[in-house]
Amino acid sequence: MLKKKICMVGDFSVGKTSLTQKFVNNVFSEKYLTTIGVKIDTAFVNDTKLIVWDVAGRDSLSPINASYLVGASGIVLVCDGTRQSTVLDIKDIWQVVKKRIGEVPAVVALNKSDLEDWHIDAQQTAYFEEQGWQTFETSAKDGQNVKALFEALVSEIG
Amino acid sequence: MVETSLQQHINQQLFEKLELAYFCVDQSMQIIDASENLENYGYTGVVVGANADDCVDFMFGLDAYTELDLPMVESPSGKKVSVSLLPRDSFLTVLISSASAEADQRQLLQQKANENELLVEQQIKLMKQLENASEMLEQKNVQLEEASRLQTSFLSGVSHEFRTPLTSIIGYTNLVKQALQSAGDDGSESDKVQHIGAVQRSSKHLLSLVENLLDHGKLDSDEIIVRPKETDLAELFNDVELLLKPLSDGKHIDFIVELGFEQPMIVVTDDSRLRQCLINLLGNAIKFTDSGSVRLTAKLSDDFLKVGVFDTGPGISQENLAKIKLPFWQAADTGKAGTGLGLTITERIVELMGGELEISSELGCGTQVSFEIPAPQLDAEPKPVESQMLPFKQAKILLAEDDYDIADLIVMMLSERGYEVSHVDNGELALNALENQEFDFVLMDIHMPIMTGYDVLRELQVKGIKTPVAIMSASAVESDRAKAEQLGCFDYLIKPVEIDDVIRIMNLAIDQRA
Repeated sequence: MLKKKICMVGDFSVGKTSLTQKFVNNVFSEKYLTTIGVKIDTAFVNDTKLIVWDVAGRDSLSPINASYLVGASGIVLVCDGTRQSTVLDIKDIWQVVKKRIGEVPAVVALNKSDLEDWHIDAQQTAYFEEQGWQTFETSAKDGQNVKALFEALVSEIG
Repeated sequence: MVETSLQQHINQQLFEKLELAYFCVDQSMQIIDASENLENYGYTGVVVGANADDCVDFMFGLDAYTELDLPMVESPSGKKVSVSLLPRDSFLTVLISSASAEADQRQLLQQKANENELLVEQQIKLMKQLENASEMLEQKNVQLEEASRLQTSFLSGVSHEFRTPLTSIIGYTNLVKQALQSAGDDGSESDKVQHIGAVQRSSKHLLSLVENLLDHGKLDSDEIIVRPKETDLAELFNDVELLLKPLSDGKHIDFIVELGFEQPMIVVTDDSRLRQCLINLLGNAIKFTDSGSVRLTAKLSDDFLKVGVFDTGPGISQENLAKIKLPFWQAADTGKAGTGLGLTITERIVELMGGELEISSELGCGTQVSFEIPAPQLDAEPKPVESQMLPFKQAKILLAEDDYDIADLIVMMLSERGYEVSHVDNGELALNALENQEFDFVLMDIHMPIMTGYDVLRELQVKGIKTPVAIMSASAVESDRAKAEQLGCFDYLIKPVEIDDVIRIMNLAIDQRA
């Protein structure tokens, strides 16, 4: 059985924990509870066991703790489709990842696609295309593309 | 021995206080030592010989050579722990200590900070939405203002265009009526006089509607001007009664006029504006009353004129009372035609005359409209205004008018009174005529081909030609009058002009020149 460590990264309150919980336990909560440090879960994609590190979000005061990334085979970059800044911040976050563990496979989750003020245009996601990342419009609430997101990353990791 | 024992005791205390747990792995990540209290954090199966990758989740992907700190990792027990990986020569020690207290504290602070930041972001977003909405509203407002301006401009234009043909209709029917009356009063001619009278009344009614339209165009631009002058109130009210009586007669309702003064009653007021208000209010009352009566009352008290119009019509609901002064508003269920402007304009005119229009009504009980305006009384006798009293002064008149119907009418009426009239149909010809011939008086239109009336006035000033010029225009716009007066016109008449007014002004001009 294959085993891979992956990390969920992105700004605070973009839905990293919600996506992880939807994927791992098929649960969703509307309540926002900020993640402190890191929470580790396991899940399977086919015969690959994923060790999912749900890393505390980046905020204006604290950057992502890059120690958590050590040993990761892939990254899920998560941003909030209703908050433009979180989409643009992916560029900076990727620099942190790259500096610590190099250019590992990554996929992008444009999360909260179920919300009304969800607004993403091609200009904002041009960087993702440049990087060759598969990008998914996801909703942890209704499960849209959640499974596909993790499957795509496993496939990228190979 | 004592020292070793002490050290062990201290270590024990420290381990307990920090809730320290540990395990060691060799370079192949196999566990070679482990503390018993690892189970306190939910790490079970961590026994010598086991593979750390399999029994400790955070160990997967790590190696035995890299020093690493992993703060606040959620352990299988749910408690937050701090993990330190400390490589030695041939093995790696992994220290695990409780971080629950720090994590709880951090959780509280971070939660609050993040929620605040989200709120700020939300506020910024809402502000932006508000700004966008505000911008959109502003644009809509500009569009509405432009639409309103176009509507006003259109109405003013239309009413202006209507005045010229109405001048012809009213003038020529007057001529026909006079001819019929002087031909004798046999039965057939009497019918014709009545028919012509009906045409005249309709034309005047149409003219009053046009005037309302034009005035509406001026409501927003404050162009409605009140020009108080000596006025015989009794004569004015009698005129209005004569004008509207046929309307009430046609509907078989009583038209009662109760005046608290007798002729002559000279006051200072704008007679044409007061007449317009009375026609609007009485016209409405008659229009909406199908049985019973319309009563007009007027009395003077302490230099104030109090007017009331009472009808026995269907009345107005409280809901509609709030709307009736809005422009173009008409009750949907009355089936009565009109522009819906009369009351709006009357209210404005009454305001400009220093009064306030009051309306009270109840469904089924009729309607009462009243106003009170300043009307200072004068002791002087009224000026003679009847045409037969106007003295004839020999005069040579130049008429500049491009509408041949109107020109023929004026030439005919002035010639009948014995005046010598020359007609030209554009401004350039008018200027040439004034340069080459002597005239006593000029009656001139504004909007003419080649040279406008304004151009002619300007040229006359430049050339020093002092012949008095009365402008005769279909434009009742105040700025047009002001422009003509600035260019030195003697007077400004609005079409349709009364021939007596022309003669009176001409006599005045000739007297002043002499």
